[in-house]
Amino acid sequence: MTSTILQAINGVSLAALLFLLASGFTLSFGLMRVVNMAHGAYYLLGGYIGLSVARATGSFALALVAGGLAVVVLGYLVDRFLLRRTGENHLAQVLLTVGVAFVIGDVALRIWGGDYLKVPVPVALRGATELPGGLVYPTYRLVLIALGAAVGVLLWILYRKTQIGAVVRAGVDDREQVAATGINVDRLFVMVSALASFLAGMAGVAGGAFLTLYPGAEWEILVYALVVVIVGGLGSLGGAMIGALIVGLLDAYGRWLLPEFSYFVLFAPMAVLLLVRPRGIAGKEA
Amino acid sequence: MGRTRAVVLAVALAAALVLPFAAGPFWMGLATQMLIFGLLALSTDLLLGHAGLFSLCHASFFAVSAYTVAILQVRYGVPTALAAPAGLLLGTVLAAVFGLSVRTRGVYFILVTLALGYVIWGVAHRWSSFTGGDNGVTNVPFPGAGPLAIVSHTQYYYLVLAIVAICMLGYRVLVRSPFGLTLRGIKASESRMRSLGYRTGVHLYAAFVLSGALASFAGVLYVYYNRFVNPVSASFPISVEAVLMAIIGGSGTVIGPFLGSGIILGLRNWVSSFFELYAAVLGIVFIATVLWAPAGIMGIAGQLRARLGRTRTAPA
Amino acid sequence: MSEPAIRVGGLAKDFGGLRAVDGVSFDVAAGERRVLIGPNGAGKTTLFHCITGVLWPSAGEVALFGRGITRLAEPARTALGMSRTFQISNVFADLAVIENMILALLGTDRRKWVLHRAVDTFGAVRARAVEGLARVGLERRAESPARLLSYGERRQLELALALNSNPRVLLLDEPCAGLSPSERQRISQTIAALPREITLLMIEHDMDVALGLADRVTVLHRGRVILEGTPDEVQTNPEVREVYFGHV
Repeated sequence: MTSTILQAINGVSLAALLFLLASGFTLSFGLMRVVNMAHGAYYLLGGYIGLSVARATGSFALALVAGGLAVVVLGYLVDRFLLRRTGENHLAQVLLTVGVAFVIGDVALRIWGGDYLKVPVPVALRGATELPGGLVYPTYRLVLIALGAAVGVLLWILYRKTQIGAVVRAGVDDREQVAATGINVDRLFVMVSALASFLAGMAGVAGGAFLTLYPGAEWEILVYALVVVIVGGLGSLGGAMIGALIVGLLDAYGRWLLPEFSYFVLFAPMAVLLLVRPRGIAGKEA
Repeated sequence: MGRTRAVVLAVALAAALVLPFAAGPFWMGLATQMLIFGLLALSTDLLLGHAGLFSLCHASFFAVSAYTVAILQVRYGVPTALAAPAGLLLGTVLAAVFGLSVRTRGVYFILVTLALGYVIWGVAHRWSSFTGGDNGVTNVPFPGAGPLAIVSHTQYYYLVLAIVAICMLGYRVLVRSPFGLTLRGIKASESRMRSLGYRTGVHLYAAFVLSGALASFAGVLYVYYNRFVNPVSASFPISVEAVLMAIIGGSGTVIGPFLGSGIILGLRNWVSSFFELYAAVLGIVFIATVLWAPAGIMGIAGQLRARLGRTRTAPA
Repeated sequence: MSEPAIRVGGLAKDFGGLRAVDGVSFDVAAGERRVLIGPNGAGKTTLFHCITGVLWPSAGEVALFGRGITRLAEPARTALGMSRTFQISNVFADLAVIENMILALLGTDRRKWVLHRAVDTFGAVRARAVEGLARVGLERRAESPARLLSYGERRQLELALALNSNPRVLLLDEPCAGLSPSERQRISQTIAALPREITLLMIEHDMDVALGLADRVTVLHRGRVILEGTPDEVQTNPEVREVYFGHV
């Protein structure tokens, strides 16, 4: 019984991380119709930069911010000089951003090497916490869950309760209409894109503290995030939350019960969805 | 076909035939790879260039057939005559299963195939008791069927050359057939096709399975060339490079994917001899192709030809 | 008495909170020329989508020559003899005009599954495609990519594609939309010349064309049928006049 609960918490902590990555991806697509396959590379680069900052300054908080901001800058450059030229051609976007990811991955390999690296967890968050019921669980992961939940709540409030969120939601539904009302759509895009980039970079640092960073991690995490987005539906923030939970829990239980076939377990919901509802749980775009 | 094209083809064929003697084993090996990966690229282009579907999971079929042949021959001593068809069959069966993905379109299709591709990579990687994990399966022998055994790389090169040439001819007929035209119709306007009476999902499914079979065939050729197989052959870079090869050479044509294969493999060989960051170079090639040459080499050739006053609409 | 070509019974279609089609019922007799008119937003194209299978209705039924087709997939309806044109020209822009026609011809033909022989070897099919093009005056544009056709030529190709699948029932969605007067004349002549074996249901905004071609007219307003009758009856009806000319 305890194992079951432990795995559940594992799953939820992964879900928190995946949500950070998937929410940015899905909003970018919903609003700007952009598929950015470099999101995984953003995660990895953010993580590596955060790692270096943490090693240099000893501050985890600084590392989180640095990782996030570095990716914001990079993401802006990619958007402005590369992605803008692809319009809504998804094939071009995919190939372009895969290329960007290859470049980032290779450069990162050169700078940080091929070993498995871990972002140092701040002293205060090391060790384990005792939970009600006598369970003992790594403190860091619990904090990660809290972080994911906090970001989720914040995004939800922003998205559903603020003026700006309303504009973004309207833009996801009908971009031309929003532009016609005189709102500066370009600036909106830059902001949403920057947010997505920041979340990805920050996720890299947060994830790098318990999942480790290594060449190839950028693709593995991207695939997980994509399954979240497929299951939850492209463009839906709520879908990203539900999808992240489903994927996180399936991964945890899959690894525990069927380690050699855990990927199968992970993709089962996707297969079921394909059979029953090809548009995902809450998707808006075919 | 035009006289220029016939002449170019004849020259290319002649060059391919004398290559082992004119250029030596290194270039012959490279040419063999080029043919094999060109076939894989061709398989993705049946979907991309004709049906308009961008699949990122074709390395799965490639790898499954390669692993099947390898495991059967190395671990169970099954002869080529059974192992090769088994490989082809299993890869095609996988394509029939993954063909579920044609229930989606556009971006969803791309993402779904990406994820499906990962399932196979994950299995190859984690089910180490069966697949050998990261080490893969080694010591795959040359193909042999009694007296018709291949004993040298040179012989294998000619075998691959013959097989690929036949595949190219068959593919050419396929894309010019009513079935091929149907795919291009779906790519041009699926709604129109449905209103004309085409059950588009069924056609796309058939195309997916056919393209998976072709990719599996490439996998069988691959494992006998490489003599071993590991999870890398199921990896995402293999799938996406195959599509890039088709695009760079000219999507929608028969020769394009092979041209692209030659360019990418040649580039890799050349660059990796003096520069470590080969993946970054490939990444830049992706970016450059998308921004400046989306129609690929054949597209550029077509533009030149149009400027010289000749145009065509049928596929090459 | 023979079955009506098209029977629509209590058809309704909702989009979220919006009821685009609201309890529409009518019969179109075999061989009849029926025109559907109504102001923009009346639900005419949505109704077409329900009849041809692009959409499934939220309520009600559709029958083709007595056979229920309400939830039948669109390609299957075409196989039963239904054909349509689109309001916005929906041709295969990237393919040659003749290839457009060949696809229309093969839509209900088992030979569309042939994969071992080139299309070029099907001489009879090609000849019929050229004939189909000639019927709308496009035979000289056969080899050109459809993308290069003028707007008017595209509308003609649109019509030719629908005719080429040997329909028993033809649904035309504003075939004259955006055409010049002479092009309009040409298209309406082509339509008028269609044999009575083909039943016609047409949405048209141009009153002259509509009333000139119609046996009977059905008037739609806000998703409901407000009148059905002969062209004269409809033209002189005060409610119709108000719907069309009273509100802009």
